[in-house]
Amino acid sequence: MRVHIIGSVIIVAFSILFLSIFNLQVIKGDNYKDQSDKNCIRLLPQAGARGNILDRNGNIIVGNYLSYDVMIMPQDKKVIDKTLEKVGEVLGINIAEIKSRFKKGYLAPFIPVMVASNVDSKKAVVLGELKTDYSSIIIQAHPLRYYPYGKLACHVVGYLNEIDHWRLTKLEDYGYKTKDIVGFGGVEEKYDYYLREDEGALSIEVDHRGRFIRILGFKPPKDGKDIQLTLDLEIQKIAEDAIGDRKASVVIMDPFSGEILAMASNPGFNPAIFINKKNNSIAALDNSALINRSISAGFAPGSIFKLVGASAGLETNKINLATTYTCTGSMRVGNRDFKCWDTHGDENLAQAIAHSCDVYFYRTGLLLGPQAIHDYAQKFSLGKVTGIDLPYEVNGFVPEPLWKRIKLFQNWYNGDTANFVIGQGYTLLTPVQAVRFMAVFANKGDLVTPFIIRNIGGKDMLKSRIKITKVHIKDRVINYLRQDLRGVVNDPTGTANILANLPVSVAGKTGTAEVGRNQTHGWFVGFFPFEKPKYVICVFLESSGSGHSASAVAKQIIGAMSQNNSINLN
Amino acid sequence: MRGNNLTILIVAVLIAVIGVMSIYSSNYQKEGLLWQTIFQRQILWIGLGLLLFFYMSNFNYRRLWDITYIVYGVITFLLFLVFVLGIVRLGAQRWLRLGWFNLQPSEVAKLIMVIFLARYFSSKSSSEVSLPVSRYGIFRGLILPFIFIAFPVGLIIEQPDLGSGLLVMFMFIIMVFLSGVRLRYLVILTVFVGLCFPVVWNYLRDYQKDRLLVFLNPNVDPLGAGYTVIQSKIAIGSGQLFGKGWLLGTQSQLHFLPESHTDFIFATFAEEWGFVGCVILLALYYILIRQGIKIASKTGDYFGKLLACGISLMLGIQVFINICMNMGLAPVVGVPLPLMSYGGSSIMTTFVALGILVNINKKRAVF
Repeated sequence: MRVHIIGSVIIVAFSILFLSIFNLQVIKGDNYKDQSDKNCIRLLPQAGARGNILDRNGNIIVGNYLSYDVMIMPQDKKVIDKTLEKVGEVLGINIAEIKSRFKKGYLAPFIPVMVASNVDSKKAVVLGELKTDYSSIIIQAHPLRYYPYGKLACHVVGYLNEIDHWRLTKLEDYGYKTKDIVGFGGVEEKYDYYLREDEGALSIEVDHRGRFIRILGFKPPKDGKDIQLTLDLEIQKIAEDAIGDRKASVVIMDPFSGEILAMASNPGFNPAIFINKKNNSIAALDNSALINRSISAGFAPGSIFKLVGASAGLETNKINLATTYTCTGSMRVGNRDFKCWDTHGDENLAQAIAHSCDVYFYRTGLLLGPQAIHDYAQKFSLGKVTGIDLPYEVNGFVPEPLWKRIKLFQNWYNGDTANFVIGQGYTLLTPVQAVRFMAVFANKGDLVTPFIIRNIGGKDMLKSRIKITKVHIKDRVINYLRQDLRGVVNDPTGTANILANLPVSVAGKTGTAEVGRNQTHGWFVGFFPFEKPKYVICVFLESSGSGHSASAVAKQIIGAMSQNNSINLN
Repeated sequence: MRGNNLTILIVAVLIAVIGVMSIYSSNYQKEGLLWQTIFQRQILWIGLGLLLFFYMSNFNYRRLWDITYIVYGVITFLLFLVFVLGIVRLGAQRWLRLGWFNLQPSEVAKLIMVIFLARYFSSKSSSEVSLPVSRYGIFRGLILPFIFIAFPVGLIIEQPDLGSGLLVMFMFIIMVFLSGVRLRYLVILTVFVGLCFPVVWNYLRDYQKDRLLVFLNPNVDPLGAGYTVIQSKIAIGSGQLFGKGWLLGTQSQLHFLPESHTDFIFATFAEEWGFVGCVILLALYYILIRQGIKIASKTGDYFGKLLACGISLMLGIQVFINICMNMGLAPVVGVPLPLMSYGGSSIMTTFVALGILVNINKKRAVF
């Protein structure tokens, strides 16, 4: 029986263990005891640089600069005290302070202790020269994050901070450790693994006085990979300037590929404040400053949602191009009057879109029913993430009667349908969803996947990023609505008529969504040039704007773009 | 509880107590509440483990025969769940969160694979007098069980938990050997697994490769795994004959030793208790495993025999690999020291395994 063989194998295995332990502890024990007492191995960390983040033309959005840390290698107490005094003198730190820093930072006899970080290069040179007399001083250069444009594109880029517990548990197995600096939000977080530098180290043996004897091992540091974004810095600047101090978001995208050319969100933050934590600017941040409004928050879409109702109506033949309704300023649905924002009189579809007539769409919506509107919103992939390659994108929301019954225990009324079709009520859209929705009309029927990464470490990502699916709506319908969108700008009474006298032909749709008392969100979603679109734009003003003011911001952006020589509009 | 069974219980509890003492010692100087409560949690796991031990020692192990495939299905599903959650959460994950307890399915899988293989190789139809396993062809004797094992092993390695994956694979080879399948097949299997290694190599993550390379030359990576091994050797060696004394080990307490309460608990122990302590600890493990083998050789029931032998070997191999790892004689692959390393899943699985062992011994007379 083979079980007996196993018995002897176990005896052999335990003998091996016994002998090895005997060898280690009894025969070589003195040697190891010695090593442990002195622990004459010193580790000198060697820092690498985190990858840069570039815009589509190769301009640096986030780079690195060299910062110097002063470290002291633990030694005899006398030597250390002298060294600390000298270092304190050079740096202008008083001796008690520097001694307490050394005490706090002390981990083990062979790990250098950092006593000052981010020292300017002149002082670093002076200290470097002291090294001949005070051998335990170590000047360590390491690259730190540098943001040449301050808060520009801050939400896209994200910031760096010490790893938190939640991220640590998630990333431990990828070799992340406590106190690691990792990306929070944006590209820094999503692509941390690529951007991240690999820390190297030099292990050296020293004698009992801390003098260098020999190098035991060296692991060179590796720099992180550079990431090139699809953003265009020029356009990004224009967008952020146009927003100013408003709570707002602007997204500009290539309608055919899905490349994000600008993504602005305000209020923002300067990522540099997380690097240099001495000031209280982190606490002073607006509490929503870290949210990327372009992807991480859904808002009531208002009239831009009417395009869903219009598509559904035309596609299912509930309405046709000649269908005309009379707007008397309001309409009774159930036992409530639903108002239109103006009295429009007789309106056909083209006029209803140009004037954003609510009554026309109440009637269309009631003909369609909520389920059909919901289904068509789904065809445009609203209420689902767009799949943009940034973290923390939200779904937005498109309601349906069943949801209301299950979640709110209420029936769906006609009044809900009337609100639904004009983009009020429960519906929530993120600006990036709105831009993608408008791109369908710009590119005549394709649903693109927005993306922001163009190149990682020299590897071109364009091919793998461009994902296009066809929207299942007849070309005829899309083309017709596309024409109507031009009317919104073209028609002298159109809601976005202020965009008519720009050097480039714009088409689009405005939206004003009521949220609470006297507060409205303003939307403008459009594309330009009309004939051969190169840009889709979404301007969103939170709680303090209307379709009109959003159009004014859009006008400012498109105007500035047309004046900038480096941007080719046609 | 008498004789062998009592010995198993006492030895297991003794080892667990030594483990708690070492965990306490390795963490008591670290800052933070989390570290301070780790040994308390270990005591909780041991308490729960003992409950499971008594439950399993009264749970007729033949009933495991009936539910083997169900258990196999459940654990594979859990491993798959870990895999899927790992993808969804964009990060590696070895455990499932069950309320306040993080279950690590790969630990449980080790035991379940042993049960599965014991059952697979001891199956016979009622009309047969002798076991058919020695007459099995290459498909039923080797390929079919290999497929059954390869699936969970793949999921475990993907987690990534190289140590547990290789361990299960190794257990498979041993169970094939024990089962009495023709030796020729065993040779084929060993060669095949050997040939697989270069393929698996390509699928390993960088840091896993590093750890294997470091084994060959610890100075390649002085900061990471190599550093751990160097420091662990210093820790063990500096313990000398009588050790530095409990709570006085300098290596483990001055943060030199990463993982000093999990995979490198042996180094912590060896530093403080010296060669004398190590010999006592080895003797305890030897007694425990020896009891298992004794039970296996006395048991007439073939399923029980294979199971007892498999369980003892599972413990033995983990002890062997872990201690070798601590001494720099094996790559750092993340195998816990049974009953000593911190971790609820490992502790409880080990106690369940010992419970099964005791039950096999109790039921021996019946057959």
